[in-house]
Amino acid sequence: MTTLLLDASVLLAAFDPEDDHHESARTLLEDEDATLATLDLARYEVANVAVRAWRAPNSVTPLLAVVERLADDGGIVPSTDTLLTRATEIAEHHTISVYDAAYAAAADEGGYRLISCDERDLVSKDLAALPADANKEGSR
Amino acid sequence: MAKVMVSLPDDLLAEVDAEARRGGTTRSAVMRDFADAALRRRRENRSAAMRSLLSDASPHGGRAAEQVKATRPGP
Repeated sequence: MTTLLLDASVLLAAFDPEDDHHESARTLLEDEDATLATLDLARYEVANVAVRAWRAPNSVTPLLAVVERLADDGGIVPSTDTLLTRATEIAEHHTISVYDAAYAAAADEGGYRLISCDERDLVSKDLAALPADANKEGSR
Repeated sequence: MAKVMVSLPDDLLAEVDAEARRGGTTRSAVMRDFADAALRRRRENRSAAMRSLLSDASPHGGRAAEQVKATRPGP
């Protein structure tokens, strides 16, 4: 069974019924057959969106609790020098940010499948699969 | 199925072997079943916690991926 590495967009979409990927992201987080992990960067990103974009600082605690539950499941990948060096290479190659590339590098290094709602920079470049496609054979 | 070498303390191995004898099965089967059960329990615990945490989701305008990018530090 492949561990699924979720980026911050998936965690946020699961909390927002207005997101196009809400149902599939929520289903994935509640899936008893999947092992789920994330990158330590997700902590900052979900908190930042809750405070700066949603203007909902009360959402930070449950969002961080979601991250901690992933720590108890597939784990939280730390952003090491090695990982960020690989992320830099991926960012250069695909012309994406090092932030996005860090998730791709974490998935690559750990043998995980990256799941993201980022169609423009990750899914379209075959670096990630959408939450709805997470368990489909052949998707990344 | 892959074959692996696993190091175990003597007393834990004795318990595994006792369990295998009790169940009329092999040491490998016992360790496989225990690992599978432990990982399943971990996933079930996470799933239950997520159902509880996500029960008070509220609308925030969608576009999560765009919001993540928009709130990252600028160049």
